[in-house]
Amino acid sequence: MEYKYIGKPLPRPDAISKATGKAIYLDDIRIPGMLYAAILSPEYAHAKIINIDTSSAEKMPGVVKVVTGKDCCIRYGDNIADQTPMAVDKVRYAGEPVAAVVAETLEQANAAVEKIKVEYEPLLVYTDAREAMKEDAVLIHEHQEEYKRLPTLKCIPDTNVANYYRLIKGKGEEGFEEADVVVEGEFNYPIGSAAAMEPHGSIVWFKEDQSIECWSSSVCPFIIRQELAHTFDMPVSEVRVHIPEIGGSFGYKSDITVEITIAWIASFVPGRPVKWVATRREDFTSTLSGHGIRTFMKLGAKKNGKLVAIKSKILHSGGAFAETPVNVTITATHNSGGPYEYEHCFMEGYTVYTNTTPVGAFRGYGHPESQFATERLMDMLARKLDMDPFKFREVNYLREGSIVASGEKMWKTNGDVQAAAKKIQEAIFDGDKPEEDEDYYYGRGFAALSKAPKGATFSTKGCYMKMNIDGSVSINMGGAEQGQGLRTVVKQVAAEALQIPPEKIHCYTEIDTQFSPYEWQTIGSMFTVQGGRAVIRAANKLIAILKKTASQVLKADEDMLDYNGEYVYLRNDPSIKVAVKDLARGYITSDGITIGEIAQASADARLPRYSNPDPETGQGTLGVEYTFGAQGAQIRVEKKTGKVIVDHFASSFDIGRVINPLQARGTVLGGVLMGIGAALHEELIYDEQGHQKNPHYGRYRIPKMRDIPPKSTVDFIENPGAVGPYGARGIGEHPFLAVVPAILNAIYDATGIDFYEIPITPEKMKQALADRKENA
Amino acid sequence: MLIEFKVNAKQYKMDVCPTMRLLDLLREELRLTGTKEGCGEGECGSCTVIMEGKAVNSCLVLAPQICGKEIITVEGLADDRELDLLQQKFMEHSAVECGFCTPGMLMSAKALLMKNPHPTDEEIRTAIAGNLCRCAGYSKIVAAIKDAADA
Repeated sequence: MEYKYIGKPLPRPDAISKATGKAIYLDDIRIPGMLYAAILSPEYAHAKIINIDTSSAEKMPGVVKVVTGKDCCIRYGDNIADQTPMAVDKVRYAGEPVAAVVAETLEQANAAVEKIKVEYEPLLVYTDAREAMKEDAVLIHEHQEEYKRLPTLKCIPDTNVANYYRLIKGKGEEGFEEADVVVEGEFNYPIGSAAAMEPHGSIVWFKEDQSIECWSSSVCPFIIRQELAHTFDMPVSEVRVHIPEIGGSFGYKSDITVEITIAWIASFVPGRPVKWVATRREDFTSTLSGHGIRTFMKLGAKKNGKLVAIKSKILHSGGAFAETPVNVTITATHNSGGPYEYEHCFMEGYTVYTNTTPVGAFRGYGHPESQFATERLMDMLARKLDMDPFKFREVNYLREGSIVASGEKMWKTNGDVQAAAKKIQEAIFDGDKPEEDEDYYYGRGFAALSKAPKGATFSTKGCYMKMNIDGSVSINMGGAEQGQGLRTVVKQVAAEALQIPPEKIHCYTEIDTQFSPYEWQTIGSMFTVQGGRAVIRAANKLIAILKKTASQVLKADEDMLDYNGEYVYLRNDPSIKVAVKDLARGYITSDGITIGEIAQASADARLPRYSNPDPETGQGTLGVEYTFGAQGAQIRVEKKTGKVIVDHFASSFDIGRVINPLQARGTVLGGVLMGIGAALHEELIYDEQGHQKNPHYGRYRIPKMRDIPPKSTVDFIENPGAVGPYGARGIGEHPFLAVVPAILNAIYDATGIDFYEIPITPEKMKQALADRKENA
Repeated sequence: MLIEFKVNAKQYKMDVCPTMRLLDLLREELRLTGTKEGCGEGECGSCTVIMEGKAVNSCLVLAPQICGKEIITVEGLADDRELDLLQQKFMEHSAVECGFCTPGMLMSAKALLMKNPHPTDEEIRTAIAGNLCRCAGYSKIVAAIKDAADA
């Protein structure tokens, strides 16, 4: 089918306001009477609070209020209500809010917060799940079994295990009896930070009319609204949440993060809006981190290369609160098999409390962490079987008719991983790799990937569409633009569905829960699929309304009418027609009587039949929409320095339908570079006392321009999906997924060294080369 | 202390606290919020403005240092509704994603082109080496700057 607007490189509607500096982000908002908050972090990562002395702080100039968590009985969280807005009797991580000062200016708040004196009784600190899970470990949450949690979640009482998830397919662990060859390994994906350029922040205002107004750099306005209403015991309708432009998220601005804390602080100064924006340091220490996943994995195959069984155990150092990591753990667990079929699966995931900043969503949501293990082990297993790693994978790829670990059946419309793999094989592995020389080792590596979103049973996306009197269309939705370009997607999908040029379609800018249609939250690479489908459904309803009115005007049956964006006309005689713009407010007849209704429509779309996991087997319709892909790297290892240089990186995804090639390519290149950062230098390091050692860009090194590989290949395959608009699938997170194993597999190819944890810094590489020499 | 300076061709005379950062003067006093604060430590380049023709991190410049000097911010690039060529090219190349680094990137690029209208790729890379972009749209940013320079 020929598309008019799909597949075209339309520019972003928000590019101009961003490039002129006129786009408004959270920190750009000024409200008359606004106060500023500064938050105190504790000296210890795990300690009882003995006393907080706020008297000196209260006397400081400009101070309006000093707030602590004393007597706070709020517990909040959608999954596990284990969070408090401020530490109450103890602190559980070094970035936890202990007290706050509200002052007339930020400088005054910052000066006063330093005057707060807190007395602590330090407790043992755990920064790693393995330590926190030891039998005699001190409990980070003493009575976690009392927390309200979703019925599908289970803690292990009197331990630091906040949730245990298990999946069994086929004979489970016994399936290994059928295996001829087995490999296993332990892989660690350390804690990292999304570290978006815009630090997270919020403004909360308890208003005189008993309503709450909030602004946040968040991707989940409706969750914030619900949680604020619930926490402060008021109707949801009386809470209004605004989302301005968001300066990047990559996951960590989803879920409730800082909003309830700022609300708690603001509740002490009713009538005055209170603003808090994280410093860069606080953005690392006191918002959400990513990863922190250790994967133990075992794969078993027949001699002919057919995989039979997988066993995986995910130990997730989730941080001080489990509300945000718990679903990352579960997703990492049931997707740990990667894009392959196994008859027998035994997968376990432990979400463990640790004294570190809570982990939340990070591009890929558990998939890159556990599939790092899968893709490294697939190479190792191919070696052990003495098979070509491509051929070995080909035997096992998920394809039409395969059943994934969670029990879902794959259809042709789920895409073609093998086709993506072939593209990478051609791009990276065609011909011989360069011979080792005086300065470098050379290597090539491959990894395949699959990802489904982590949905929720209520994860729908709404769309409101209205036609204006000139036939132009305005669209309002609740999806948060965070750089991914969803506004362009909305315009292109709507243009195609309505057959109206994109210039005549206006896409909403900021989100305001007072006006915006409901959306669960903008996560999981789901907007194009679900949001795009909601746009098409709304467009179809709108066209139906136009036809209904036109049928009265043209005195013809609705099913004999066609629509082309400009006119509704009689199919057998197109000269009998009425202009769409004349139908927008209903049709005004020559005698001034209006017939028909206003051309407006609302619709929503969710993942069809998304379900909870079965309590016994852990299986269910947990993915629904999968995107498959493959990635490959050609690298060099500098002998002198140990530096790994990526010379060529190739990615291929079956994204069903490319809506905007310019944006899709940009998303891939950005995700790949982020993955190179994870593979080679990003790690948020904690000392033994639970303090972050590198909470700033100087030492948490995110990729810079000079880290871009000299050559990049991006290739899209278009086997249309069944759910998304025009067959499109999600692509936001996927380019990040397999970069790490592709590079590590290439490092093995270059040096013969198997790495089991990242990042591979030059120091680690140099050490490994030296060790190899010693052992030779 | 009383200082005189120019921002986007407009002359100002202001009484400022000597420890005030140029970034705060622009954002809080002049309400020019196009200049963004990403780290406050001179590590990300989001707050880049042009001072006397040179790109500087406005979080590292104190108000007294701008006395008698001329500053250009992102708001000074477009002329009424006419975009600067760099802004136009950023848009065409999809070099704007979340947009938070964009003003800083544009100002680093503008400072380069003011001095060197036809830079090489390497000179472009050097000029924006101090600007971080977590969306990692660097290739498109370099292409946009190159295109603006060639035009």
